[in-house]
Amino acid sequence: MDSQAVLEEESINMKRFVKTPMTLLVAGAMALGLAACGGGGDEADGGSGASSSELTTIGFVAVGPEGGWRKANEQNIQDTFTKEKGYELKYAPAAKLDQKSQIDSFTSFVDEGVDIILLSATEGSGWEASLQRAQEAEIPVILIDRGIEPDNTDLYVTRIAPDNKQVSKSVAEWALTALPEGGKYFTLEGPAGVSVVNERNQGWDEVMSSHPEFVKVGAQTANWSTEEAKSVFETVLKSNNNDVQLVFAQNDEMGLGAVQAVEEAGLTPGEDVKIATIDGTKNALQALADAKLSFVAEYNPLFGETALEVVEKTLKGESVDSYIIVESKTFDSPEAAAEALPERQF
Amino acid sequence: MTTESAPKAGERRSSILRSQYFGGILAIVLLLVVNLIKDPGYLSIGYNSANGALVGNVIDILRAAAPVMMIAVGMCLVIATSGIDLSVGSVMVVAGAVSMEFLSTAPDTVGSALLALGLALGLSLLLGLFNGFLVSVVGLQPFISTLVMMMAGRGVAKVVTGGQNTAASNGAFRWIANGYVFGLPVVFLLALLVVVLVAVLVRRSALGLMIEAIGMDPTAARLAGVNRRGLLMAVYSISGIMAGIAGVFATASVMTVDVSKTGDQMEMDAILAVVIGGTSLAGGKFNIAGATIGALLIATLDKTVVFLGISSSATPAFKAIVIVVLCLLQSKRVREAFLRRKSAVAAPQKEKEVVA
Repeated sequence: MDSQAVLEEESINMKRFVKTPMTLLVAGAMALGLAACGGGGDEADGGSGASSSELTTIGFVAVGPEGGWRKANEQNIQDTFTKEKGYELKYAPAAKLDQKSQIDSFTSFVDEGVDIILLSATEGSGWEASLQRAQEAEIPVILIDRGIEPDNTDLYVTRIAPDNKQVSKSVAEWALTALPEGGKYFTLEGPAGVSVVNERNQGWDEVMSSHPEFVKVGAQTANWSTEEAKSVFETVLKSNNNDVQLVFAQNDEMGLGAVQAVEEAGLTPGEDVKIATIDGTKNALQALADAKLSFVAEYNPLFGETALEVVEKTLKGESVDSYIIVESKTFDSPEAAAEALPERQF
Repeated sequence: MTTESAPKAGERRSSILRSQYFGGILAIVLLLVVNLIKDPGYLSIGYNSANGALVGNVIDILRAAAPVMMIAVGMCLVIATSGIDLSVGSVMVVAGAVSMEFLSTAPDTVGSALLALGLALGLSLLLGLFNGFLVSVVGLQPFISTLVMMMAGRGVAKVVTGGQNTAASNGAFRWIANGYVFGLPVVFLLALLVVVLVAVLVRRSALGLMIEAIGMDPTAARLAGVNRRGLLMAVYSISGIMAGIAGVFATASVMTVDVSKTGDQMEMDAILAVVIGGTSLAGGKFNIAGATIGALLIATLDKTVVFLGISSSATPAFKAIVIVVLCLLQSKRVREAFLRRKSAVAAPQKEKEVVA
């Protein structure tokens, strides 16, 4: 305003002959204005930067909608890392369980320079390059639930997960007691190549390999889906003339699909075919309480608090174990399931 | 002109196309034979007196084929206009999500089942109309318009169910996918009925010819007075409704909608079924019977993989091999048919003229 007033005054006084000084003045005034603007901008930027750095930003490369278990797990993580506790959690679910979309969000978190990354990989393999990038950018990565393959512990801080092997061993051990004379069993697997699937198979096989009375009639993926599991298992029953006594479903949804296939074949789930599942979602416990499933091994999703502790330690530079096991329960009777049902969160 | 030459064109076309989807039938027979070798009782059909149902592997194949049949027939009309509908899988999940979400709170009556069906199909129709609008009025590429809908649809489904897999119980709705009439699965009979209805609708009227006309040469079709805009709207709407029916079939079978899995990659199955059935992706012609055969083949293939006990990791490779072999088989036939057509009196141009 001032400079403009001066300009006007001068233009009145000097009139025609002072064209050149006038343009100089205008240029000068504009330059001043610009400089002032720039300065103001810098200050504002500095201010906003300071306020956001008070919160620790966490990039959560998540799996997204997959089933009840995943929902409980990711909700629990999101509820734990709140603004009140000093965290800003950026939640990036995968598009249709696609690893490519996970790698993209992982990379953009690294570029953005978040303080720490939580990763639940949809697929175990193919993470080396991304994890190395994070390491170069000095961003610690914590694996949530799912591990990576090959399991190179140098590439991440720690993996927090219930132990898949332990959980599937507990299913196998239950099977030994439930079917003391053995029998034929079928495994409904998740998508091939996922670490969960490999680990759940390993735990199961470790127990079953020393028990020849259990005969494996086959294993097939149903991609964690109820619909596919039903379709797969109805065909399996036909190809074995209904001679299957046990189903090991690697998640609840597939187990529930197997129940429907068994019922439709005119058999009674629980008597003719015993179905054991892993996860322990509300729907599965309900089915166990209704005696449709025979055994449910929980794979505890609620470990936000553990994750919080680990994140705090990591940010302080303390060392943590490379694998932190989350405790899980098992349910082997309708009564146990009915008891646990009311307070089931997932 | 039409009264005289249309039947001739129809005859010629059907004779060529019969040889094109012959490959599909052959592949189904071969797969059944492979299964039969593994288990001589594969084709045997039993009777379950408890629910009056025929029981057998073939019955399972028919049931599994029903949703694919729906989307394949819709897709084959869209492809005939030289378009493509990538959104069928997503429309399926929307239809499933809406019906499950509604039924999870509604009373277990036939009325609420019908209402759920109405809601699902109504919404699918809207999504199809929107596709048609983008393609015909806005003039976007079909690939892009339906790709947008493919991504948006799954988003809509997640919003509808609050991002979680929703289960419901309703006897009547369940019956659609699991019931039996005269020993045959209701879901297959319904699918067959819908296919026949669509076939009659497009082949007994000039609709089919006009759809092919805009796929062959839009300019010539316009000059001949074909209403391109209206037809495209109709075709994409039909595809939408068909996908909605498929979604109802898929979710009613287990009474659960899985927002990330229901209808996932079904657009690929639909396109594959259409191609196996002898409809060219270049547009300009379609074959509903062929698409149905293609859908049956895909179901047979899926079931064979499980029946043979092929390991999960080898499954995609096995399917790919079967499909590649089939395509090779067909491309040879197509070439033969093409050569025969060239040497014969009826040049391709002539056929175009007749239709236009």
